[in-house]
Amino acid sequence: MPEDRAIETHDLSKKYGDRLAVDRLNLTVASKQVHGFLGPNGAGKSTTIKMMVGLLRPTTGSLSILGQGVSGDNPRVRRKIGYMPELPRFPKHLSGEELLDVYGRMYGMSKTERQGRITELIKMVGLEGRGKDRIGKYSKGMQQRIGIAQALISDPELVILDEPSIGLDPVGMVEVRNMVKDIVKSGTTVFFSSHLLAEVQQVCDHVTVIHLGVMRYSGTLEDISSKVMARRRIVIELEKPVDGVLAALKTMKFATVEANMNTYTLHLDTREDVRAEVSRAVTSAGGVIVKMQEEGGGLEDAFLSLVGKEGMA
Amino acid sequence: MAQKKRAGTLAAFIALLYYEFLWNIRKKKIITIFIIIFAIATVQLAFTPIADAIANPPQALQANSTFVFAGIEALTGIFLFLVGVATTMNTVSGEFESGTIVPLLTKPVSKTLVFAAKIVASVITLLAAYSFLVGYIAIGGTLIYGPQDNLNLVPLGILGLTIGSMVWASVALTLGTLSKNSVLAALGSFGFYIGLLIGGTLIAAQLGASTVLFYAPGMGATGTTAACAGLERGGGQTFSTGTDGLASMLMRWVLNPGQVLNFCGFQFRASGNPTTTLLASDTFANVAFRDLWVSLVYVAGLLLLSWFAFRRSQIVES
Repeated sequence: MPEDRAIETHDLSKKYGDRLAVDRLNLTVASKQVHGFLGPNGAGKSTTIKMMVGLLRPTTGSLSILGQGVSGDNPRVRRKIGYMPELPRFPKHLSGEELLDVYGRMYGMSKTERQGRITELIKMVGLEGRGKDRIGKYSKGMQQRIGIAQALISDPELVILDEPSIGLDPVGMVEVRNMVKDIVKSGTTVFFSSHLLAEVQQVCDHVTVIHLGVMRYSGTLEDISSKVMARRRIVIELEKPVDGVLAALKTMKFATVEANMNTYTLHLDTREDVRAEVSRAVTSAGGVIVKMQEEGGGLEDAFLSLVGKEGMA
Repeated sequence: MAQKKRAGTLAAFIALLYYEFLWNIRKKKIITIFIIIFAIATVQLAFTPIADAIANPPQALQANSTFVFAGIEALTGIFLFLVGVATTMNTVSGEFESGTIVPLLTKPVSKTLVFAAKIVASVITLLAAYSFLVGYIAIGGTLIYGPQDNLNLVPLGILGLTIGSMVWASVALTLGTLSKNSVLAALGSFGFYIGLLIGGTLIAAQLGASTVLFYAPGMGATGTTAACAGLERGGGQTFSTGTDGLASMLMRWVLNPGQVLNFCGFQFRASGNPTTTLLASDTFANVAFRDLWVSLVYVAGLLLLSWFAFRRSQIVES
């Protein structure tokens, strides 16, 4: 595997009984990339991540992390990974600092290394003054923060975050997002799963979309709209309904038309800007345009076309 | 390279032991075990003086040079079971129940190392608990009942109690690893204990001290220093020779290695008392040796099964 690839999977599949949770996933994540792993709930994101960190065994296929094959119980691979589980749960009777200390010991860090890193991380995740409190007394947001801190304790080459802002309030989500941006600045590869499109859009430069265990798209965020055929719409509102406008619009080969009272929606099959042509056709038929607006074609529409409307729930 | 790897593994193992003890101490598991043990030992020590004091007329406390030895021999059965099960019932299953297994298993430590650290922590906990218990009985017994005989055998008693308790601890650990549920582990272990007790009693009632009982965990076959033919008339001492009686057997092995233990069977008759017959006899040395390896085989077998289940486990829920 080329060294610039942090994660690579080949036909990776996982079955739970008869249910196929991940279906022949071929995923490549380049080093130093912030890669979003996007999909609705139940898409297979957490299952894929669990296979990456060794919590689950693939049914078929293979995967490599940082150039090393992951098969079975492989602590050497995990030494290079920092992982934050979805809704992380840590021993409640330990303090945040104790948790980081004991995990740091497992990475073979010296006392001096641990002390320096713990101070740095507690500050980074905004838990200054609360590091000595028991985790059982932490709020959900604080547990997410300590979850991020423990994933970074060994200064890993690859950080895998599974839904890091799930269950957080809007302020907490912004804070987590900012933390991820801070991690990225240090040159670490970040693989970031989320079911929230906006979150991925703000943090990641590359994205893989998965739905029902199947990979639907993998590439840059910029390319997703152009590569995925997401249909744009033109919505026209007339002053009053006019006979002949619908017939005029229906003559246009690049769109299908829906009419509702004095509102007409054209679902476009073209990427060209056809607003002038549409406007002329309406005016020629005697219609007076009150409002004309182009909708769709963005990331959200691309995502919708990949996963279907049920995926946005 | 290999040396560096070994050093890394050792450091990770020590880190896991630290994690385990931090967990047990903070969750007050170890403290609870010690409090229970302290209470039981205090009752054992104080029972005779209190009984003598409240007797009418009050009795003078008699010196008893075998109090400590007999006290260690009396620690058997349900006591070993409770301490063993309390030590390991949530050692593995507790991690699954609380979800803390997820961050733990994603650290650079193998499952085998995690499991080994949990076992070593359990053995150290049991060893410390029984050392505390026996030490307390030895000091208290000497102060209350005067100088004690055979105090040099106390370490063997501690070893026997630890291994005997480890048999039950292994049962609880295995059930906990398989079920990933602490309550099921505790209840299942208790069911196993009761089942063995009832099964053993039925076998003993029908067949006497059958050789089958030599190899069952728990109380095992009862041996006597008296002749079987004279058993109905009393005399001699009786001993449980199962895994629960290992402490007693190990101490007797050193004290009287050549003394013979008889294992008696019963013959029921249409009328009158059943007659007893000799089924087997062996020296304390042989009985203790067999008891030791039977205990160790149970511990090793159950831990192997538990380790295998732990290694195969996958984290579907998080």
